[in-house]
Amino acid sequence: MTAAARRAAPLPLGPGRARVVGTLLAGLTLFVSTGFATNGRLPQDTSATSELVSPTVGAAAWLRDFVLPGGELEPAPVTLDTELIVRIAEVRAHGDAFRYDLSFYGLAPGTYDLRDYVRRVDGSTTADLPALPVTIRSVLAPGQVRPHRPLEREPPSVGGYRLLVGLACVAWVAGLVVILRSGKKSDEEAAAAARPQTVADRLQPLVERARAGTLSQAERADLELTLIAFWRERLALGSSGAARALATLREHPEAGPLLRRLEEWLHRPDPPETTDLDVLLQPYRNVAAEALPALGTSSEARV
Amino acid sequence: MTDPANASTPAFEETADFINRIRERIATVVVGQEVVVERLLISLFTGGHILLQGVPGVAKTLLASVLSRALDLEFSRVQFTIDLLPSDILGSEILDRRTNEFRTHKGPIFTNLLLADEINRAAPKVQSALLEAMQERKITIGNTTYTLPAPFLVIATQNPVEQAGTFELPEAQLDRFMLLHRLDYPSPEDERELLRRNARLGVRRAEKGAIVQTEFDTIDSKPVGTDAEIVAAMEAVNGVHVSETFIAHVVELVNRTRNHPAVELGGSPRAGISLIKSSRARALVHGRSYVVPEDLFALAEDVVLHRMRLKYEALADGLTGHDVLEEMLATMGATPSVLIPHVAPRTGTNHTSAPNAAQSVSGA
Repeated sequence: MTAAARRAAPLPLGPGRARVVGTLLAGLTLFVSTGFATNGRLPQDTSATSELVSPTVGAAAWLRDFVLPGGELEPAPVTLDTELIVRIAEVRAHGDAFRYDLSFYGLAPGTYDLRDYVRRVDGSTTADLPALPVTIRSVLAPGQVRPHRPLEREPPSVGGYRLLVGLACVAWVAGLVVILRSGKKSDEEAAAAARPQTVADRLQPLVERARAGTLSQAERADLELTLIAFWRERLALGSSGAARALATLREHPEAGPLLRRLEEWLHRPDPPETTDLDVLLQPYRNVAAEALPALGTSSEARV
Repeated sequence: MTDPANASTPAFEETADFINRIRERIATVVVGQEVVVERLLISLFTGGHILLQGVPGVAKTLLASVLSRALDLEFSRVQFTIDLLPSDILGSEILDRRTNEFRTHKGPIFTNLLLADEINRAAPKVQSALLEAMQERKITIGNTTYTLPAPFLVIATQNPVEQAGTFELPEAQLDRFMLLHRLDYPSPEDERELLRRNARLGVRRAEKGAIVQTEFDTIDSKPVGTDAEIVAAMEAVNGVHVSETFIAHVVELVNRTRNHPAVELGGSPRAGISLIKSSRARALVHGRSYVVPEDLFALAEDVVLHRMRLKYEALADGLTGHDVLEEMLATMGATPSVLIPHVAPRTGTNHTSAPNAAQSVSGA
């Protein structure tokens, strides 16, 4: 065995001596492994606690069997500004005090007092506690840029994934129903729009407006063409060419005078002073819609 | 034929008399064909040109010839063939050997009435030269521009049956013709009269022999009208009233050609202009001082049809342009206008009289 080995070999210890050696070993372990412990020693001397070497930022340190006077303690609530996190693993009664197994770690380098990060369970003051300074070291060089302050976010939505999937399914089904219903509605509207408009449908309002004297120029043209269509259909001239049909209409004893009077009213540069439209258009006021087939679907009028 | 209530001015009556004289002169040579004569007069009075489409032997050349003689107009006829050159129609500069200078030889286009027979047999270059001259009414030969004589009317013909070795006129060039009239065979009654007249034709002695007379020999060389009367008729056409209602009809029809599902190319604005112009002339020929829908319906085929081109699908379905146009005309008034929304039904109040529609429209 070498001399160095002999110096490191354990010596036989008594109960009191062993306790002192254990404390020193624990302090050494804390120093080396960023851990820290005291074995039931009440820190009466604050200067002694200020000498305790604390770990680096983010590394946890432990205090086991740490006796603190007064009522039971618990960690103070943590806020976004808290730079030292204290956790109490176990609390045991120790006379009129309590013995704690606690750990702490720092989020920023500096010196902190553990008293600021605990509180009494019963809400009483912690002023009777001795100072418990700890130092959090930084392994970074001075002047490092600090990270941004964490952004405050909205609390997470209620429900989670299953609720989200359920809501998506409901929305999908609802959308499908809306689409199906709207498609059915548009079909109905298209069918209604495709319903052939009879000449009577078109003629009656034009006649009424002509008699009221409120026809626009375009509607006057429409009135004339609609009356021609009316008579062409009534005389079954659909198979004749349009020009020949109109020539036939002009010679018809009933349609001819009407069309000529209309031509005079609508086309002559010097029409009669007044045209008695009331009499002229009287027969066309109450043309029954069902009395005429829909010209738009007449086989003769279609190619 | 003249409506005295509508055409009371002396100038209008003189024009009506002039038109009647032309009709009577043509009727002495050509049997029937009143519609063709009417279209020729419309073309002459409006300064438009006319393309006659029909099988051979329906008196196309005879009509042009008798019209020119009746009005004492210069008449030229050009038979279009595949080897025809533009200079054969327009003219060219030729070297005069005596003077060693170029002199201009004017082509047959320098006339009042040009019959371009079977225009679709000429090459497109020749067709373009003629159609450009029809539009511009000017010819440039060498460095000199010549104005064509007035009146200037081209009566072109084409045979719809024989298509081998022909060059179909494209729609853009057909648009230059105000009217395209499709000639039909005469009615049986007219054809009997035609044969009777032909049977009365004898022979004409010439030199040592004789020549069998044709209808051309029966044309009276004495004119029935003068240049001044033609000018008066052209001015009378411009005096025919066109109402706003009639313009609405024309716009409606032209728009229907553009919006019809079977039509690929509808009527151009020139189609509407031609409809108005030809309707005015037709009204004058029929003794009216204002146009009516009958003019529009009668002329729609001749004015609009050659300006329309059907879609391939419609042609494959067996549709013709005539079918589609007839459908458009037949449904005018029967289906809602493409220009105005349908008038909603309403209950109107009774009025015993209405203001005159024509009071609010502009005169022609």
